[in-house]
Amino acid sequence: MTQPLIGVDLVPISRVGELLDPGIGPLLRRYLSAEELTVSRTPDGEPDRAGIAGRLAAKEAVFKLLGAVGRPVPWQGIEVLRGPGGRPGVRLSGRAAELARDAGLGPIDVSISHDAGFAIAVAAASTSLEHPNSLEQRL
Amino acid sequence: MSSAGIDKVRDWILGRHPERTELAADVDLIESRLVDSLAFVELVYTIEDAAGVEIDFDNIDIEDFQTLATIEKAFFA
Repeated sequence: MTQPLIGVDLVPISRVGELLDPGIGPLLRRYLSAEELTVSRTPDGEPDRAGIAGRLAAKEAVFKLLGAVGRPVPWQGIEVLRGPGGRPGVRLSGRAAELARDAGLGPIDVSISHDAGFAIAVAAASTSLEHPNSLEQRL
Repeated sequence: MSSAGIDKVRDWILGRHPERTELAADVDLIESRLVDSLAFVELVYTIEDAAGVEIDFDNIDIEDFQTLATIEKAFFA
């Protein structure tokens, strides 16, 4: 029997402006892989701030599925890329992939939206393991 | 007496939270939401810059980053 899991996260688009500040170096490279950086530009070559905020929100939403509370987000190991039909797709590697295996996660789906200065993302998957937060187990 | 390095880290955190004027060494930075998951990367960068070290993000011990006191012990002692 599988159990559903969801994760959600919200990122103000203004936070991306802080991360792009040349005074703090190429910090965005610590959050985004080379492939993600390539697809995080507008057609005129500028950083796609809303897209980047959505990508960061999606990474955090996926991280919430991994059951690794209290650990730093493995930003580089959770890549959010364009999937078929333009839908975002998730690719895990390294520690993030290990955490997903340990959590018994099936395929992960994400959905991203932007409005009013914020980006929001929801991640969903199912797990074959007993969900540690299941109220049924506690009640 | 605190080191100049940890003072830089304290100043960076206080700079992000203008409503605060002080930050005690034993305040839990994560539990108190002074540093969220996005800002955690910036915190690591700030410590690297202040301490002149490179931190392996994949092998971080989160307890080293819990308070100013643990950061000072781990990176500026």
